[in-house]
Amino acid sequence: MKRFANLLKKEIKELVTKQLIISLVFTVILFQFIGQVSKKEVQKAVGDQTISALDQDGSAASKALIQGLESARFKVLDQSGKTKEEALATAKAGESKLLLVIPKGFGDSLAGLKPSEIETYSFMRSFSLIGTRGQVVVQSVISALNEALSNNFLKQRLPDFDPQSLKRPIKSKDFVVVQDKMAEGSANMVAGLISQQSLLIPVVLMMIVIYSSQMVISAVAMEKQNKTLETLLTVPIKRTSIITAKMLAAGLVGLISAAVYMLGFQGFMGGIGEEAAKAGAQVGGPAIMRQLGLYFDTTGYIVLGLSLFLAILVALALAMILGVLAEDFRSAQNMIMPLMFMVMIPYFISLFADINSVSLPVKILILIIPFSHPFLVSQNLYLGNYGMIAAGLAYMLIVFGVLVVLAARIFSTDKILTMKLSFGKKKGATA
Amino acid sequence: MSNVLTVRGLKKSYGAQHALAGIDFEVRAGEVFALIGPNGAGKTTTLRIVATLLTSTDGEITFLDHDHCKEPDFVREKISYLPEEAGAYKDMKGLDYLHFMAAFYARTPEEEKEFVDRAVAITELGDRLKTKVGTYSKGMTRKLLLARALMTKPVLAILDEPTSGLDVLNALEVREIVRRYVKEGTSVLLSSHNMLEIEFLSDRVALINKGLILDTGTPDELKDKHQAKNLEEVFRSSLR
Repeated sequence: MKRFANLLKKEIKELVTKQLIISLVFTVILFQFIGQVSKKEVQKAVGDQTISALDQDGSAASKALIQGLESARFKVLDQSGKTKEEALATAKAGESKLLLVIPKGFGDSLAGLKPSEIETYSFMRSFSLIGTRGQVVVQSVISALNEALSNNFLKQRLPDFDPQSLKRPIKSKDFVVVQDKMAEGSANMVAGLISQQSLLIPVVLMMIVIYSSQMVISAVAMEKQNKTLETLLTVPIKRTSIITAKMLAAGLVGLISAAVYMLGFQGFMGGIGEEAAKAGAQVGGPAIMRQLGLYFDTTGYIVLGLSLFLAILVALALAMILGVLAEDFRSAQNMIMPLMFMVMIPYFISLFADINSVSLPVKILILIIPFSHPFLVSQNLYLGNYGMIAAGLAYMLIVFGVLVVLAARIFSTDKILTMKLSFGKKKGATA
Repeated sequence: MSNVLTVRGLKKSYGAQHALAGIDFEVRAGEVFALIGPNGAGKTTTLRIVATLLTSTDGEITFLDHDHCKEPDFVREKISYLPEEAGAYKDMKGLDYLHFMAAFYARTPEEEKEFVDRAVAITELGDRLKTKVGTYSKGMTRKLLLARALMTKPVLAILDEPTSGLDVLNALEVREIVRRYVKEGTSVLLSSHNMLEIEFLSDRVALINKGLILDTGTPDELKDKHQAKNLEEVFRSSLR
């Protein structure tokens, strides 16, 4: 145990370098900085927007339109009395995101039940999604006004009828059923909330797996490159202890690094997410999710944690074998590629498709990849597919066992010194 | 004199390539036994097998009356190995490296200190041991590694080309260190293609070529037998 602790201490010291600490601190600061900048932009986008309005009509209807915009948190700069060109130039030179031109005759057309036109000129000073949000809100105000005006017309002409019933004779009341639970709400909203809830799982997994694996592969490759491996293999410590110490050190440092990165990432997402959520919160979302049982209880979190932990172990064991194949630090960088692909395939499929609904051969291929299972855990937990979860966990455990035995076997035989995969070089056995 | 190591019919193949074709030799307690031969003769392979790094294809090795193959953990407790192109952890300070290696062998903190003190004395690097290994010259690194190999007073020190790449003065110092430690009870199995070095260091010599031992004896015995002035001539004669 003392020998193992001695080796583990050395492995951790080797991994926790000044460069790593600087890189972690820099990343967190960068994420926080971007988060704060984005937060301000989102605040600007969802807060009071400055627009200019040229009311050439001056009717009650045009004034109502401008009042409607003001009540929708728009700061409206009045350009009355100017020509369209003058108003455009003034609005463009100022802060206005948009110029609204209400032409003469707007009120009369409305009164005569004729389509009335207004013109909007959006000033695109940036091409970010947040930057173009102003026009989206204006459009929604216009459609709200359209709704109000058409209701008024219908009331005037058909006072005995409810305008809503006339415009939308068919009404739908949406319910979502999950397993044996039912709640009122749209399936789109539920799907959106689920994807929000499980957004962090693949990101966390990707980061830890890639980070820790890179460390293990590099640790073995560096021992080879610095010619320290031969000496280490002849000291009185079990080969399995060498493997375990390297894996444990990389796992621990990988986990801590991932936690720090996640903290930074949370700061980044929090910056955008909080304000955006305030702007577009889906009322009753969490309540519906609870009603449908689509949330993690303690057991759920434990199962998810176990699944992530097993995936990390599998990655570390695989990285250990890949590290043996690497000749030096440079080739170790190439060795990480197969591992990255194995994590990215289920990640991207989970982003764009439902793993459960793809064709059978593709499904088998995905399920063979051990890293697919943590992506499936949350879905299967929600849907009560406990058999699938148990099978996934068992599969990862078996894969881990096989890989550890294989790694131990490689470390206990000549292969640790003779196995190599060169990139662009001739293969050669150790003499 | 009892044998520390006995090797019988040792063979090693990499596929169709035979690195060792069946060699026999023994290392006696308190002696320096050298394997000499050209590059690719099988010296390093032999040393790596004895150091438990490689497994043999055939043959028997007995180390202190223990089966070398079946008890590698026992062997590793009693030997130390200095590979030809060995390195130390570059980001570690010299002293930390010695402590790190000593901790694998020492049973108590006192013993660890004893090992490290001995290594510090061998290296004669003084305050430079407080600096990172990455800043050392080749000679300094080699002395550090040799000190690491000898600090535990192993039963058998396996030294592969111990003076490889060193200048004359550094090589001389390394040879003197090895000789001094043999007097303190450590047996040495070393390899070299430097015949003069072998003549200075070794009690007995085995001439190896193409995986076969051609002749074994003390340098004087071999020189008499082959009527040669030095081991280089002995080697040339034994090849005929």
